[in-house]
Amino acid sequence: MTEIKHKTFLFDATRCIDCRACMVACSAENNIEMNKTRIWVAGVGVKGEYPNLDRATMVYHCMHCAAPDCLSACPVGAYTKREDGPVIYDSKKCIGCRYCMNACPFGVPHFDFDKGLFTGAYIDKCTMCPQRIDIGLSPACVATCPTDALVFGERADLLKEAHARIQAHPGRYVDHVYGETENGGTSYLILSHVPFAELGLPDVGNKPIKDTSEKVMEFTIPFALGWGAVLTATAVGVGFLNRRTELMAQRAEQAEKAEEAKK
Amino acid sequence: MKMHLTINPRLRFRLSPFVWTLLALAGIAFAIAMLRYANGIGAISNLNNSYPWAFWISFDLFTGVAISSGGFLMAGAVYIFQLKQFKPLLRPSILTAFLGYIMVVIALLVDLGHPERIWYMMIHMNGTSVLLEIGICVMTYLAVLAIEFAPVVFEGLKWQKFAHLIHRFIMPFVILGVVLSTLHQSSLGSLLLIQPTKLFPLWWTPILPILFFVSALTIGMSMIIFESTLSARYFHRGLEIHLLEKLTKVIQIVLGIYLVIKFGQLTFSGDLKYLFTSGLMSVLFWAEILIGAVAPIAIFSIKRIRQSANGLLLGAVVLLVGMILDRFNVSWFGVQHPDPITYMPTFMSAVHYIPSLPEVLVSVGIFSAGILAFGLAVKYLPVFEDGHEPAAQE
Repeated sequence: MTEIKHKTFLFDATRCIDCRACMVACSAENNIEMNKTRIWVAGVGVKGEYPNLDRATMVYHCMHCAAPDCLSACPVGAYTKREDGPVIYDSKKCIGCRYCMNACPFGVPHFDFDKGLFTGAYIDKCTMCPQRIDIGLSPACVATCPTDALVFGERADLLKEAHARIQAHPGRYVDHVYGETENGGTSYLILSHVPFAELGLPDVGNKPIKDTSEKVMEFTIPFALGWGAVLTATAVGVGFLNRRTELMAQRAEQAEKAEEAKK
Repeated sequence: MKMHLTINPRLRFRLSPFVWTLLALAGIAFAIAMLRYANGIGAISNLNNSYPWAFWISFDLFTGVAISSGGFLMAGAVYIFQLKQFKPLLRPSILTAFLGYIMVVIALLVDLGHPERIWYMMIHMNGTSVLLEIGICVMTYLAVLAIEFAPVVFEGLKWQKFAHLIHRFIMPFVILGVVLSTLHQSSLGSLLLIQPTKLFPLWWTPILPILFFVSALTIGMSMIIFESTLSARYFHRGLEIHLLEKLTKVIQIVLGIYLVIKFGQLTFSGDLKYLFTSGLMSVLFWAEILIGAVAPIAIFSIKRIRQSANGLLLGAVVLLVGMILDRFNVSWFGVQHPDPITYMPTFMSAVHYIPSLPEVLVSVGIFSAGILAFGLAVKYLPVFEDGHEPAAQE
C-alpha cells in the first residue's frame, strides 16, 4: 500500500485531550453552520478503577479512502478523488439521493435534512481543506491541534512515523495502524491505545468495499445484450413454431375436407 | 374494422365514501409533500444522518418496484412465449405495473433532496453506480410501459388505427421491457452490495441480485393472482381460475429454487451460524422465509385451496407479506447502524428511527391515488376486455 501517494492525516488517540478545538477551527475555516460539523469526536467513557483510570477520544472525519465508496455509488458523479488525496463533493451535481451516505462504511457524508428546495439541501463532508493545502498549509483541524494528536503530511512518511511510534512504545499502542489497509487504504491513519472498535471504527476489511458492486455492474451491458438476444431468438422461434403448427393443422384440415369431398 | 367498445352507462364514476377517503388521503400526502419542499425532509420525516434511507425507500422503492413485476412477466409470457391463454391477465398486469412505477417515481420525487435535478442522471452518468442503472432502467421502463398500455387508451378513445399501429410494432418494446425489468429488479439487490459492513450477514451476499430477481418473479405472479381475484370480486367479472392454478404451480417451483439458492448461499458463505443466534435478526429472517416461501408452497399444494378464489387470494397475500418483509429486511431492518454512544455526538442527530406519521401518510396518499387511478382506468378503458388484437379480428 506504500504506492498510494496521498496527503494524509495521522491521528494519535493517546495524544488527544478532547479539547475539540479542531471542530471549531474546521467550522470557522469552512463556514459551517452552528448546529453542524464536519468533524466529530467519538469517545470511550472513563474506564478502570481509581487510580488507574483511562479515557479515550478520537477525532473523526472523512477518511479520504484510496478507493472511495461514496464516489463509486454516486449516480451523478458528484464526487471526485483528487490525485493528491482529497475526496471532494460537488454540490452543483448532487441530486440529493443520499446513496453516498449508505455507501460510506464510516458514515461520513451528512445531509441537510433541515433545508427545503429554496435554500437547497446538500451533502456535507470534510474536504481536506483544499484551499489551504493548495498553498502549502495543513488543514485547519491539524493546524489548530494543540497536542499534535493530528498531524498532516505525505502518506508514506506518516506510515513510517506511525510504525516508529508503535515500535518506540510497544506497550502503549495497539499494534496496528488503522487505515493502512482498511478499505484498500485510507488517507486518515489512526493510532490508538484502546481497541479500534471502542473508538467507533468499523471493521471494514482490507479490500475496497466497492469492488463487489463494481464487478456486478461490469456485467450489466453484456448481460442486457445477451438476454435481449436470447429473448429475441425465443420470440422468433416460438412465432415460427406456432405458425408451423397452425399451418400443419390447416393442411390436415384441408386434406380431411378433400377426402370427404372424394367420398 | 369492428368497434369493440361501447360506452356502458353503468360505468359512471361514483363518489362513494371509499373514493372520498382515497381522495382525502391523496390530498393530505400532497400537502405534506409541499411542506417537505418548503422546509426540508427533516421537517416531515424522521430520516436522519444515521438513517438516510428508511421507510420511503423500503416501501416506495423496494416494495413498489417488486409488486410491479407482474407487468413484464405477463408481457413476456403473452408476446414472447405466445402463451395466448394468459391474455386476459395481460392488460390488468400492465396497468398495475404502469401505475406502480408512476407511484415509485412520484414517491422518489418527494424523497430526493433535489427532485428538480432528476434528469442529471442522464447527463452526469457515473457508470459504477448501481443507483444510476436503476434510475435509467426505471425511467426507460416507464416509457416502455406507456407504450405497452397505449393500445388500451387508444381503444378506449376508439382510435383503433393507433392501437393497431402500436400492436404491430410492440415486440421490440416487450423485449426491451423484459430486459430492463430483469436488470433493475436484480439491481435493487445490487444496491445493497456496497453495504457489507452494515447489512446483516443473513442478507448480505454477492448474489443478492439473483435472489432479488428470483423473488421478484414470485411477487409478480402473486400480484397477478391478487389483482385478478380482487377485481373479479369488485368489478363483477369472471375469474380465470384454471390459469391462476397454473401460475401457482410455477410459483411453487420458483419458490423452491429461491429456498435452495438462499440456504445454499448461507451454507457456502458460512453464515448459517446466525440463523438462530442473532435475536431479532434471526426472527426477521425466519419470518420472511416461513411466510414468504414455505407457507405459500404449502398453501398452494392443497388442491381445494388453489382451485378456489379465496384460497388463491390467501396464498398470494401470504407470499406478498413475506416477500415484502424481505425487502424491508434487506433495505431497512437488517441494516445495522453504528453505535450511537461511541460513534456520533448526540447533538448531531438522533440515531433511533421510527417513521413519523407524515412520512407514512405520504406513502399512503400516493398509494391511494394509485388505487383511484386503477379504478378509473378499469371503469373507462377496456382493461378487462380480453385483450383482443384489432388485427386478429379482421
